[in-house]
Amino acid sequence: MPTQGSHRSRLLVATVASTALGVLGFATIGHGAAVVGESRKVEITQKAPGGVDALKALYRRPATIPFPKDNPFTPEKAALGKKLYFDTRLSVTSAQSCASCHSPGFGWGDGLAVGVGHGMAKLGRRSPTVVNAAWSAIYMWDGRLPTLEDQALGPIQSPGEMNMKLDQLMARLASIPEYKPMFDAAFPGEGMKPKTLAQAIATYERTVVSERAPFDAWIDGNEKAISEEAKRGFTVFNGKAQCAACHEGWNFTNEGFQDIGLPSKDIGRGEYLPGVIKMQHAFKTPGLREITRRGPYMHDGSLPTLEAVIDHYDHAGVERPSRSDLMHPLDLSAQDKADLVAFLKTLTSELGPTAVPVLPR
Amino acid sequence: MRTIALFACVIVAGFSVGAYAATEIVHQQGRAFSAESITVKKGEAVTFLNDDTVPHNIMSASKGNEFNLGSQAPGTSTDVSFKEAGDVQVICAIHPRMKMMVKVID
Repeated sequence: MPTQGSHRSRLLVATVASTALGVLGFATIGHGAAVVGESRKVEITQKAPGGVDALKALYRRPATIPFPKDNPFTPEKAALGKKLYFDTRLSVTSAQSCASCHSPGFGWGDGLAVGVGHGMAKLGRRSPTVVNAAWSAIYMWDGRLPTLEDQALGPIQSPGEMNMKLDQLMARLASIPEYKPMFDAAFPGEGMKPKTLAQAIATYERTVVSERAPFDAWIDGNEKAISEEAKRGFTVFNGKAQCAACHEGWNFTNEGFQDIGLPSKDIGRGEYLPGVIKMQHAFKTPGLREITRRGPYMHDGSLPTLEAVIDHYDHAGVERPSRSDLMHPLDLSAQDKADLVAFLKTLTSELGPTAVPVLPR
Repeated sequence: MRTIALFACVIVAGFSVGAYAATEIVHQQGRAFSAESITVKKGEAVTFLNDDTVPHNIMSASKGNEFNLGSQAPGTSTDVSFKEAGDVQVICAIHPRMKMMVKVID
């Protein structure tokens, strides 16, 4: 006849054994959560990488700009959006516009390591480019805003950036007589309000598209459009260096979030997905169009040149649990690195000048 | 004897929880789920198979059916079964375009 104590101890052992099974991977049972089974290795058929021509087909430019159904393009909206984008009166000091940090003169960034906000205070991250924002799935380095319309209102209201309360901004815009008819024309029946302000700015931003670069001419069949060095760089980019695992497609981003091992305390996407290890120190993969105009590089502006960026990837950065599984030393040769830089330079177009609009008074 | 029986029960329970017959396989090739929406019964397993060329991090924050597979390497398959009826929004934490719904029914 077992004692109560020994029965309890057997139950305890049984509980420990059951828990151990879970830890070993037979079952993970979360309280009030889904049941996750063990992970298994599976034989999968990976498509054999095609030749250069097959790869090139993945990089063809789209024919049209995507505009959302709930904010379709109209010329009136884009024209109004451009004026608002360049208007410093959208900031509380009347000294900063969207274009202060996202300037056509700097590849639609600001050329600084980190942005400068209200009161000339330095911000924590580099100003991302607006180029090709129409194709983004999510916005900001940490992905905290889901649409370009949300993004348009974010920096305006942020105390560290333009520091402007929306009701104060609406009153200010209403006091500028020439704005009202423009809002009425762009948004019949809706007029001037935060929603239409955001829609106008976002519509203009979607028209900011990288122009055709030498790379595009090569993709379209002109073999003389880029150098032999750059062609080798394209192969390294898609092969040995694994750049295309994240920088894929015509805009050279899959919009993903990766910790690439930069020695920064900033947890990025981790703030919004705190329980997900791989999101700690993860930032959105930027596109690479107009890249030579957009230095310094990375979310914190910590790498001054493309050569420094390639060296960082070659060494794989800080090893930590959150670091992407794609990051590992690449063992690139000096030739590989030079070829990669030559290839990246072919993604920069002969950008035409952007005329600053005459602003409403 | 009772101890052996108790251990046997524990081991059988441990195995059986993770051994549901998978009724749905969700592939992840080309940074996309193979289905926008699937319907499963409570307790039935959904197999998340990473047959892509890059790691994925499949997860859900839907109340009562939360899970996080962590970094799932290419060539890895994991079964998930859901306890609560309702819509479960499944995402890849790494690739924000990857979204699907698992409708869990009684």
